[in-house]
Amino acid sequence: MQSSCEVTVRRVPDAVVLEMRGDIDSSAAKPLQTAYAETLGAQMAHRVVLDFTAVDYINSTGIAVIVGILAQARAERRVVAASGLSDHYRQIFEITRLSDFIQMYADVDDAIATPTA
Amino acid sequence: MTAPQADGTAEVLATFAVASEPGNERIALRAVATAAADCGLSADQLERLKTAVAEATMNAIEHGNDNRPEVPVEIAVLRTVDAVAVTITDRGGDRAEHGNKEIPDLELKLRGEQRPRGWGLFLVQSMVDDMEVSTHDGLHTVRLTMRTDGPVGPEGDHDAEQL
Repeated sequence: MQSSCEVTVRRVPDAVVLEMRGDIDSSAAKPLQTAYAETLGAQMAHRVVLDFTAVDYINSTGIAVIVGILAQARAERRVVAASGLSDHYRQIFEITRLSDFIQMYADVDDAIATPTA
Repeated sequence: MTAPQADGTAEVLATFAVASEPGNERIALRAVATAAADCGLSADQLERLKTAVAEATMNAIEHGNDNRPEVPVEIAVLRTVDAVAVTITDRGGDRAEHGNKEIPDLELKLRGEQRPRGWGLFLVQSMVDDMEVSTHDGLHTVRLTMRTDGPVGPEGDHDAEQL
């Protein structure tokens, strides 16, 4: 299945922002993992921000992709934040307990501005 | 089709089928959202119903019909006096419910002790007020119910729809 997910990597001080666009389903695994791999080259990228502002749809297989990214980031002692989730998908992050492990922000500017704990 | 009755008789708002191909759950969720738009569900309830329909349809496509495009997943949107219900039927017969009774545990998944996938049925059950599963003559039907606050919605102009 061809992915409708596009990911743009943006480097900011102490963080890398993965700006996603389109659908987050199983086909998003490759573009997201490729984009995440780019963060490995960022010396000070202690923090990864997943920006969902332009995401239209997330399904259970997309949740699994996010779980995979989160597991990898935690293994590398990186902090993961999420921004731009709709109220509905924020609710899903709470139900799945992703919100216990991912810092949640209304928008990407808030996520970037907040100092790492 | 008559309007919903107090005895539980349901009005059929729409019936349609989608081919069993990955991604077609999005056709289902859009059609259900259109059919259920004026049934008195809140915006939050409608979003939750859409997610439940998408996940249940994905399960029907993948686990019920084995991703065979020629085998349809049949969907009906119903309204009773106090609820909207959606039935999703595949040809999966009396299989164990989607082959996965594992309760997803995020901490186990993060430790690699549980596979990353396996959220579908959990999401369906979390999104709606009730979920029933039935089997009959080789068909497998999931019925999702979202309750409204009471009798609402326009009467009489929702004919059965074939997409």
